[in-house]
Amino acid sequence: MPMKWVFHWQPNVGTTVNSQIISEVSQCVESINGVKEGRWKVTLAFYKPIFRDQAVPAEYPRDFLGISLPEQPNRHYFIIRGQKIVLEADSSIQTIMEKLQSYKARVSLTFEGTQYQLGDFQLRVGKVAPSNSENSRGIVMEQSKIVEYLPLSSMEKSRQILDGFVEIWQEAVSKRSLPGHFMPIEPNFAEFGLSDHYTSQHTAVQYAAVMAQLISAVQTAQTVRN
Amino acid sequence: MSPLILSIVSIGRRTRDNVNGVRSSGDHRNPGHVEALEILLQGLCGVHKERLRIHELCLKSGPNLGHVASEVRVLCDLEQPDPTWMVRHIGGAMRGSGADQISVLVRAMVESKVSKNVLRLFYALGYKLDHELLRVGFAFHFQRGASITVTVSSVNKMLKLHATDEAVPVTPGIQLVEVTALASSENYTEVAAAVSSFCEYLAPLLHLSKPGTSTGVVSTAAAAAASLMSDAGVTT
Repeated sequence: MPMKWVFHWQPNVGTTVNSQIISEVSQCVESINGVKEGRWKVTLAFYKPIFRDQAVPAEYPRDFLGISLPEQPNRHYFIIRGQKIVLEADSSIQTIMEKLQSYKARVSLTFEGTQYQLGDFQLRVGKVAPSNSENSRGIVMEQSKIVEYLPLSSMEKSRQILDGFVEIWQEAVSKRSLPGHFMPIEPNFAEFGLSDHYTSQHTAVQYAAVMAQLISAVQTAQTVRN
Repeated sequence: MSPLILSIVSIGRRTRDNVNGVRSSGDHRNPGHVEALEILLQGLCGVHKERLRIHELCLKSGPNLGHVASEVRVLCDLEQPDPTWMVRHIGGAMRGSGADQISVLVRAMVESKVSKNVLRLFYALGYKLDHELLRVGFAFHFQRGASITVTVSSVNKMLKLHATDEAVPVTPGIQLVEVTALASSENYTEVAAAVSSFCEYLAPLLHLSKPGTSTGVVSTAAAAAASLMSDAGVTT
C-alpha cells in the first residue's frame, strides 16, 4: 500500500492551536492547487485497566490504545506503546474487549478534517479533539502517494519523495506566517516488529506516536504555566 | 448483537473392538467408527473434509484485573501454510426454562481474526495461560436450514509448553464430535431445530446431546459402521 507520512503541528512557543490555523492551512493547500475530495476521520481510544481493588499494580500498561482507520473499515488496531506491540484485528475485537470487562475505553479522541488531492499525492488535514468536544487539542496532516511509482513501498526510497514534498510545503506555509510548523512523525517501526513494507499497522503506530507528542506538548505547556 | 453458537456433542468411540458381537464376514478387525462417520458425512456433504489442526490457548485474567475474572481463547490454525490466529470469546450458556426446552446448547460467541503477536498483547495486558490443547481432526460444512459444521477431533495435551509436535490425546481412543451452527438472537430457535433435525442423519452411528449430558454408544453403531465401510469399498 502507498506510504503515508503523518505530521503534527508544532505551535510556536506561547501560541495555541485554534481553528483559525486549520482554515489557514487548508487555504494553503488550496493555494498550491490541492483539490478537495471529502472528509476523513481516525478515532483513537485509551483503554484503562479495571481493578477489583483499587491498589494499582505497576505491571498493567498505561498506554494501551485502540485505533480505527478510514481505509480499513473492518479492522481495528491495538497498540501498547511502551512495549512496542501493535496488533491488527477485525473490528469485532472491540466487542471482545467489552465482554472481557478487564479494560475499558475511557478517553476517545477523533482526528478529522478534509482530504485533498495534490498531484500524485493525497493530503489529509485535520484537527484532533476529544470525541465529544469541539475544542482542538492539535492539528495533524497526513500525506500519501496515490500512485505507486515504485515497485516496493520501500520507506528508504519514499524518503526522497517526502523531502521534495516537504520543501514545497514549507515554502507555502512560510508565505502565510503561520505561528508554527508541521513536524513529521517518525516512529521506529522496526521496534514494533514491522518491516520496511508499509501497511496499515504502520499508520496505526504513526497515530499512536502523534498522541504521545500531543500529550507531551500538553504536559510541557502545563509545566511552563506552572 | 453478538452471534450465538449452538452446539451439540457426542463422544464417539474410535475402536477396533467389537461392541456387540457383530463381525463383518471375512474381516478380522472391525472398522473404526470415526472412518465410518467420515464416510457418512462425506456422503451427506458432497465435498471433501477440511483437515483441522488447531492449537487452542485458554487465557485467564491475572489477579485483580477486572471486577470479575475473564477468559479468552486464542486459536492458531496450524493447518494453514502460514499459521493464522484468531481470538474467541464465548459467553455463558443461555439459561432458564426456555433454554431447557431446546435440545442444543446456546451461547454468545464473538470471534476476531488477529495478527500473530496476539499472545504478546494479552500477556502484556495481564492475561495468563491457563491451559492449552491441540485439536486434530476434520470438519464438514453443511447448509441444511442453517450453516452447520460437524467437527470430529481428538483433544490433545502438550507435555511441554507450546510443543504441538509432541501432543498426546487426553482421552486416547475417544474423539469428540461437535455439531455447531451460528445463529442470531432472532432466529436461534429455528437454527436449533435445524441442528436437531440434522443430527437425525448421524443417529445410526451417534447419539448427540447437549454438552454435559452423557450419551451411550448407539447399539446399532457397529453394524452401521460396517455397512458404511463396505458400501464405500473400504477394505479393512
